[in-house]
Amino acid sequence: MSEAAMQNRLFIPRSCLTTEGNKTGSWRFLRPRYEDKTAPCAAGCPAGEDIPKIEMLTAQGFFKEAWETILQENPFPAVCGRVCFHPCEGSCNRGEYDDSVAVHTLERFLSDTAARYDFRPSFARLPSRKERISVVGAGPAGLAAAWFLTLLGYSCDVFEASPEAGGVLRWGIPAYRLPADALRQDLRRFEREGIRIFTRRPMDRQFFAEAAGRYQAVILACGHGRGQSLSIPGEMEVGVIEGLDFLRMIRASEMAVGGGTEAVIVNGAGCGRSMDTLGEGEAAAEGSEFPGKIGEGALSSFDGLTAVIGGGNTAVDVARSVIRLGGKAVICYRRRRQDMPAFADEVRMALEEGVALEELVSPATAGRDGEEIVLSLRQMIVAGMEGSGRARVIPDGDKMKEVRVRRVIRATGAGPEESWMLPAVEGTKVLALSHCRLVSGEGKLVVVYAGDLANATKSVAHAIASGKEAAIALNALLREGSEAVIPRLQACAVGDGPALSMEVCLGGERRLRSRHIVSYTEINTDHFGFAPRITQPRLLVEERVRSFAEIDLKISAGLAMKEAERCFNCGLCNGCDKCWLYCPDVAVIREGEARRIHYDYCKGCGICVVECPRNAMSLGEGEGEG
Amino acid sequence: MDAEITEREYMHSGHVGCPGCGATIAMRFFLKAMGEKTVLVLPACCWSIIAGSYPQSTLKIPVIHAAFETGGATASGVRAALDMLGDTETTVVTWAGDGGTFDIGFQSLSGAVERNEDFLYVCYDNEAYMNTGIQRSSSTPYGAWTTTTPGREWKKMRKKNIVEALVAHRIPYAATASIAFPEDLLRKAEKAKGIKGSRFLHIYASCPTGWRIPSEMSVKIARMAVQTNIFPLYEVEDGLRYTINHKPRGYLVREYFRHQGRFQHLTDRDLDEIQKMVNEDWELLLRKAGERV
Ligand SMILES: Cc1ncc(C[n+]2csc(CCOP(=O)(O)OP(=O)(O)O)c2C)c(N)n1
Ligand code: SF4
Ligand SMILES: [Mg+2]
Repeated sequence: MSEAAMQNRLFIPRSCLTTEGNKTGSWRFLRPRYEDKTAPCAAGCPAGEDIPKIEMLTAQGFFKEAWETILQENPFPAVCGRVCFHPCEGSCNRGEYDDSVAVHTLERFLSDTAARYDFRPSFARLPSRKERISVVGAGPAGLAAAWFLTLLGYSCDVFEASPEAGGVLRWGIPAYRLPADALRQDLRRFEREGIRIFTRRPMDRQFFAEAAGRYQAVILACGHGRGQSLSIPGEMEVGVIEGLDFLRMIRASEMAVGGGTEAVIVNGAGCGRSMDTLGEGEAAAEGSEFPGKIGEGALSSFDGLTAVIGGGNTAVDVARSVIRLGGKAVICYRRRRQDMPAFADEVRMALEEGVALEELVSPATAGRDGEEIVLSLRQMIVAGMEGSGRARVIPDGDKMKEVRVRRVIRATGAGPEESWMLPAVEGTKVLALSHCRLVSGEGKLVVVYAGDLANATKSVAHAIASGKEAAIALNALLREGSEAVIPRLQACAVGDGPALSMEVCLGGERRLRSRHIVSYTEINTDHFGFAPRITQPRLLVEERVRSFAEIDLKISAGLAMKEAERCFNCGLCNGCDKCWLYCPDVAVIREGEARRIHYDYCKGCGICVVECPRNAMSLGEGEGEG
Repeated sequence: MDAEITEREYMHSGHVGCPGCGATIAMRFFLKAMGEKTVLVLPACCWSIIAGSYPQSTLKIPVIHAAFETGGATASGVRAALDMLGDTETTVVTWAGDGGTFDIGFQSLSGAVERNEDFLYVCYDNEAYMNTGIQRSSSTPYGAWTTTTPGREWKKMRKKNIVEALVAHRIPYAATASIAFPEDLLRKAEKAKGIKGSRFLHIYASCPTGWRIPSEMSVKIARMAVQTNIFPLYEVEDGLRYTINHKPRGYLVREYFRHQGRFQHLTDRDLDEIQKMVNEDWELLLRKAGERV
């Protein structure tokens, strides 16, 4: 190059290095990390279902995986998708935003989808153990215990007095809420997993002696099958019918009408109770009209007015069944509608169907007048509130009311069939847990009282919770001794408990979640938009009252996915990548499904943690693994 | 929705922006939309530092550091040079702070867009001269503390409406954008890229250091500016056609001010006053967009 050219040459400094030599991670004093947490719905579900994960998978169209996620914690998706009172929805964070997620409807959808495509689930399961466990009562609690014990490696035999398994699910809940086919859909899996269910095998207390040689433990889960009497003059004479027997009779007739080959008389569904008669004093009613006719399939001749005494789900089930049999029903309840223990939705539908409700009345006497029964009712008034939030009532002076009815059915609570089924309060070692009671002693057969026998709340979900608790507790007891029971249960708790996780018990990924329950204020709602909640499609009232056909209808996959998308997935990373998106330092690395923070460059600004829509990240001091 | 945002990065880690710097988020998003055929003219501002000191560069595209007041002029020159080389593909972008745009670079910007130079001018707005220590600019909002509006001398003048000033030049495209609305920002950058002539993008970019906010709140607060109508998202084509891109649900400005150290001295009365101004500006915008008569 000539000297002149050199002189005219333009020198421009040009960068040749990136800034990656600057390890700006050294500026950091707070460290963001991925930390999945616990959703309030999961902690609110007695069965501890991993609801944020179920809805995440549903929203992504992974229906089988979503269904398996339910099964991991609850062997009854088809049942619970229909009859669970879904406390999960009451604790749903989205409820504070617009409306809670329809978790219940989505559970039903997943079980329908599983049935439609005949999904076969795969499970985590521990290797077989030598111990054998017997379960008395094939209701939701007993079956759940058998299911979870099977996953823990035990072999289980279940004994059931009735001709078909299911307990209250088969014999107590009307078909319009839970058709037998839906129940059988869940029950089939038990057999496939090798759980042996022996039906028509009523047990008496001799069983303990027999079982001692063959089994290491007995799970007693025979439910509350005996109704309580009204204790009023004339009750026997007029033949007050027990509500549970009434429901049982209808379900049994369904067996015959449905072309089943089974015998029809199934009125002793509990264990230990004789199978051939109704309760004492019910013979009059029995003889007069209903069981025979129902047995023959003449379901439409149940006319006249029926008084149903009580305010729980059984009372509502009975009244709605009466309507379906062509009769009229009036529920007589001693408190007010809002105090009824029955699910509010069921009460509302009952009234829609024409059930009448007499609030603040308590039966005083019953007497016969020809074809009719004269029921005199004491009028009650509210005298304050009980701790539980329902009204405390007292008689309104001596004011009385009279109703003339064709029959009276009582549904005023139930207890165990036999006194030996009452959970032991003392023994060599009695461990009273939140949903069951363990009785053990040196060299003795371990007895676990489960389900309604030990539960304060009598619901299907609580029965499942009881079965799970019984299984985890029993496993701890048999493997590590009684000292280990409480710590083991605590280790499996979902959030603060008492809900438990089988996945955690089996060492699954869920054990890595923080116990912290994500609150609504921890959700970054900026990343969500209002969206109306799906409404459960139902039969029209006119169709409902004509038969026992299931009321709740199916929903489409499209609607289900849309509803599942409403779920915040509280505390659970769903790969939305807001962390990656907003990072000012390009320090979030995506590797397939996984996300990782590049701590060489992360300055710890914390934007990822605040922008995470679902609180699946945490910002903290310390330099632990993230 | 974020799946649409490309994984391609045009910015390296290891830059020296403060933790939580909104200006760096703005750049990261912007370049994802622009791609590699982009030349950046960078007048003095925080980004002059963030871009890296010689021989480092944090951006994967060519950057020309320019004098503070010359954003418009330098870009015009670069464009002319590319035209002489026959390069019609490359987009020339000026990337300047609010000081370099609203104040000292305004003459150069106004001149360039009056000539309808074929370039995209981006102002990332952190509402003060941050790089030199938080001095007020004509973009600093009413009510703010800065080191030159300290104590009771907080700023009593309204923020200059720079988009309207540009719209008055009747340029083909002018728009606002925010780091808290990435899809909107990327869409506008792409749209601007496809238009010939002078385009202007005003990006709201929070500054934890200068605004006295926790770094983790940086995006959240930028979002609140939009949600409260303090910084509406809209675009104007040919200086005439207004489109409002986001209709907030009407949060109160109070929420936005509460979180920031630079506004802590404001009384309820002041905030009411500010709410009135914001409502007034919003109404004006609605009228321009033909949504109010
Ligand atoms: C002519 C001139 N005057 C002053 C400066 C010093 N200076 C460098 S950056 C800067 C502030 C820039 O403010 P702004 O444009 O808002 O960008 P920010 O730093 O806030 O990102 C100043 C005053 C300069 N470089 N040149
Ligand atoms: S001072 Fe503000 S704008 Fe500048 S680098 Fe720091 S945070 Fe970003
Ligand atoms: Mg500035």
